[in-house]
Amino acid sequence: MQTDILDNDFSRWMLLLFLGALVTLAVTVCSMALGAVLGAVICSWKLSKTLGLRGAASIYTTVLRGIPELLVIYVLYFGGSSIVTGLGNLFGYTGFIAVPAFVAGVAAVGLVSGAYQAEVYRGAFLAVPRGEIEAAMAIGMRRMQRFRRIILPQVLRLSISGLGNVWQLTLKDSALISVIGVAELMRMSQLAAGSTREYFLYLSAGGIFYLLLTNASDRIFKMLERIADRSMPSSTMGRV
Amino acid sequence: MDIHFLAATMMELLSAAPLTLLLFLLSSACGGLLALVITWMRIAENPLLSSFAKTYIFVFRGSPLLIQIFLIYYGLAQFDIVRGGPLWPYLREPFVCAVIALSLCTAGYTAEILRGGLRAIPVRDIEAARSIGMSGFLLFRRIIAPLTLRAILPSYSTELVLMVKSTALASIVTVWEVTGVAQRISSETYRVFEVFSCAAVIYLTLNFVIIQMMALLEFKLSKHHCPMA
Amino acid sequence: MQASPRLKLVDIHKSFGTFEVLKGVSLEANDGDVISLLGASGSGKSTFLRCINLLELPNRGEVWLDGEKLEIHERRGHAVIGSQKQIDRVRSQLSMVFQTFNLWSHMTVLQNVIEGPIHVMKRPRAESIEEAEALLEKVGLADRRNAYPAHLSGGQQQRAAIARALAMKPKVMLFDEPTSALDPELVGEVLRVMRKLAEEGMTMIVVTHEMGFARSVSNRIIYMKDGQVDCSGTPQEMFSDNGPASFNRFVGASDDEIGAARAR
Repeated sequence: MQTDILDNDFSRWMLLLFLGALVTLAVTVCSMALGAVLGAVICSWKLSKTLGLRGAASIYTTVLRGIPELLVIYVLYFGGSSIVTGLGNLFGYTGFIAVPAFVAGVAAVGLVSGAYQAEVYRGAFLAVPRGEIEAAMAIGMRRMQRFRRIILPQVLRLSISGLGNVWQLTLKDSALISVIGVAELMRMSQLAAGSTREYFLYLSAGGIFYLLLTNASDRIFKMLERIADRSMPSSTMGRV
Repeated sequence: MDIHFLAATMMELLSAAPLTLLLFLLSSACGGLLALVITWMRIAENPLLSSFAKTYIFVFRGSPLLIQIFLIYYGLAQFDIVRGGPLWPYLREPFVCAVIALSLCTAGYTAEILRGGLRAIPVRDIEAARSIGMSGFLLFRRIIAPLTLRAILPSYSTELVLMVKSTALASIVTVWEVTGVAQRISSETYRVFEVFSCAAVIYLTLNFVIIQMMALLEFKLSKHHCPMA
Repeated sequence: MQASPRLKLVDIHKSFGTFEVLKGVSLEANDGDVISLLGASGSGKSTFLRCINLLELPNRGEVWLDGEKLEIHERRGHAVIGSQKQIDRVRSQLSMVFQTFNLWSHMTVLQNVIEGPIHVMKRPRAESIEEAEALLEKVGLADRRNAYPAHLSGGQQQRAAIARALAMKPKVMLFDEPTSALDPELVGEVLRVMRKLAEEGMTMIVVTHEMGFARSVSNRIIYMKDGQVDCSGTPQEMFSDNGPASFNRFVGASDDEIGAARAR
């Protein structure tokens, strides 16, 4: 009898964990997308001739890679909520309005991801062989054309391994937004563990879900790298 | 700009800073030592040892630190053996659990960094040493260790910064380090931005010091690479 | 005989910081001229060549192509391009072959060759591919059209680069030490292609160390030393025993090096 109930409960909780894993994936994808946009902008600032832009970009990457992600999450959630509540007060509402946790969470993780992605793009840009850019200049390609046809494809190709690392980082950071109540994998594991008192079981199950996610991601990125490198030599010794 | 409030907050946060520092130093030290053991197992010829090491690294690098902390803090407490055992007075302490989790986690990442450093040693340097009769512990002490150390400094510097940031997670299991105290002050005063800015300054300062020290170490160890004055 | 030369450079000065690399160099090239720029390393010959298509901006001096002067302005002590549109247009009428080939590594050989015609010259794709394949045939790479640059030998890459330069139907071709990065046995195949181009009447300016090529293919030789033109003339004039003493010393020294290398 005991085992029957446990099995039913167990399946139910595991389903919830699975759904939580889907939310985790959603959070990671959204944060990476936000981070990609931010990263591209910040990277272009870092490479700019204007000192002000370079400085701003440096401050952004230093701060967001140097402070705990938890701080960023707290600031965006509680800080954001206090701003929204203040606005509500202006319009006459006296209660507390909270920013949607999912939005605050994605924004926070996205801001941090953007800082790391900016560095990846910068490294990739600097690795594009200068000679290839000169060859494009020498046949009279305009700046936008050079960027679209020569620089961008190379930067994307060279970014893949770095982006794979940032993806793993973002995936694991997403677990932190459980503290503001987002119903993702970490939170579901906690709920299951707390409700059943089977802490070790459900926390381990959550851990295993994460391992599955990171492992699958690793394989996918390695495959993407292989595809991108098909135009590269298989060995460093030239073939005659 | 309420200077009084900022100053008071800063003082309160700084009083929690030693705890953050202690978490960081203890975890880095224990984790570093453990990493040496794990790396040694990883490169061992015995398949049992190397598989265990590979699995260890995979588990601790592939899952979030938060889940690892929860597993140790809540998960271990579930078992009667642990609760009845001699170490229980320590293992029930959030601080100890946090240090254990942080150490185990950093050991996984550091082991991977060490492996990268070992692979970066030019084979020719080892061959040269072997050809004059060096082997075993002497080879390790005079050639392998110094070269590995120099190779991993940049990556390990990054890992140490990550460790400082990771200490913030201890606040979730009621360790009153900087982030935990900041969260408490912020929820009491509702002055989110000011409080967390002060906390951010503390973390950034800590990281700055660490990066500078590592850069100094790198410089001292690479004197032979610099051009003649 | 043309009224005005195809290419004219007047009194080019170029400094990198405080170091003056070019101290007043001039050159005129007519249609069909094959001019070899010779000189020791550091004499400024590559820098001068790169001033022609403004990959380097001269601090002083004028660059004229087909009677049109390239606009170079001064801004805060630096030389800057006056009209980006003009320079892009002019560059598409010149072509450069680089020492390090500089083929675009993410494109196949064929894609490299058609890139300029399609995206810069805006010619139709089918026509560009047809012409590209003819050019690849000409340089002997027809069977490698779908290979990526990294899979080719140095000589093959340089020949592909030459095909890419030809695809732009240039008025003048610039060669920046095209064989210096090649293994000795691959140099010949590239020089053969260059010789063929010269015989077909292409206007070429070649910075090179290959004395044999300079002597037998070019119709004028310019010897540069310390950022200035030391002497110039036809190959017959320059290489004869009565030729300029400094040039003969330079050739002798180079021959000694090559001889010594061979003896080893």
